[in-house]
Amino acid sequence: MDIDKALAVSARGMDVQTARLRTIAENLANQDTTGSTPGANPYRRKVITFENRMDQALGTEAVRVKSITSDKSALPEKFDPSHPAADARGYVRTPNVNSFVEVMDMREAQRGYSANLNVLEVTRSMLTRTIELLK
Amino acid sequence: MERNQVGGTDVFSLAERRMAWLDQRQATLAHNVANANTPGFRARDSVPFAAALTQAGAQAGGRLPMTQASPLHLAGSGPALGSVSAVAHAQTVTGNTVVLEDELSKVADTASKQDLTASLYRKYTGLFRIALGR
Repeated sequence: MDIDKALAVSARGMDVQTARLRTIAENLANQDTTGSTPGANPYRRKVITFENRMDQALGTEAVRVKSITSDKSALPEKFDPSHPAADARGYVRTPNVNSFVEVMDMREAQRGYSANLNVLEVTRSMLTRTIELLK
Repeated sequence: MERNQVGGTDVFSLAERRMAWLDQRQATLAHNVANANTPGFRARDSVPFAAALTQAGAQAGGRLPMTQASPLHLAGSGPALGSVSAVAHAQTVTGNTVVLEDELSKVADTASKQDLTASLYRKYTGLFRIALGR
């Protein structure tokens, strides 16, 4: 039945947005995580991507997390010779996390989540209305 | 096809098809919303009900034909219902064409049409009840 699939697909949509929020939380929590040995690499920002794939169990296509990779962009450097991770020149590599980008991303994930929730609620009311025809 | 025919319109059969079509459309829209952030995803929509109905009328037995949304899919024999077509719209840098606001308004539209169909169906059964004196 298509309506059951619609429910499952919306639930899956909420799932992937939650995974995205978790990644964002990880990025924000680690925005000051540097290495602890001289010249060590700091935390790299994580990037999540989605894909629409056929789900055998569901019998329909459904969205899922494709990959969580690290952001390859350049790591900013900060001059701090007293830091344990400072290299020979006295520079420390810091995470490539931009909190503004993360917060914007978070807003979008939240919007996606509530859109899916909205569809789920409407689908459920349609299902209820169909069942009520039996009364 | 000819059962329950009163006044030239087979209301039960029509309502049944309309409900099936609305269910299918709701599933399509749920897909669109779930894939609002999937790179390269093209928003889809069901073929309009009138077109789907005409198409079905042309088929023997009045069943809607099943169409393949992707050439990778197996040819199935399940309950055949309407096809999906891509609708060109605004596109993001990732190649995604889903506009959440549009999708949500379509969802609301589908729900209200389903409400109407269910009410009509109920009214019609009510008429039968009156005719039977119950």
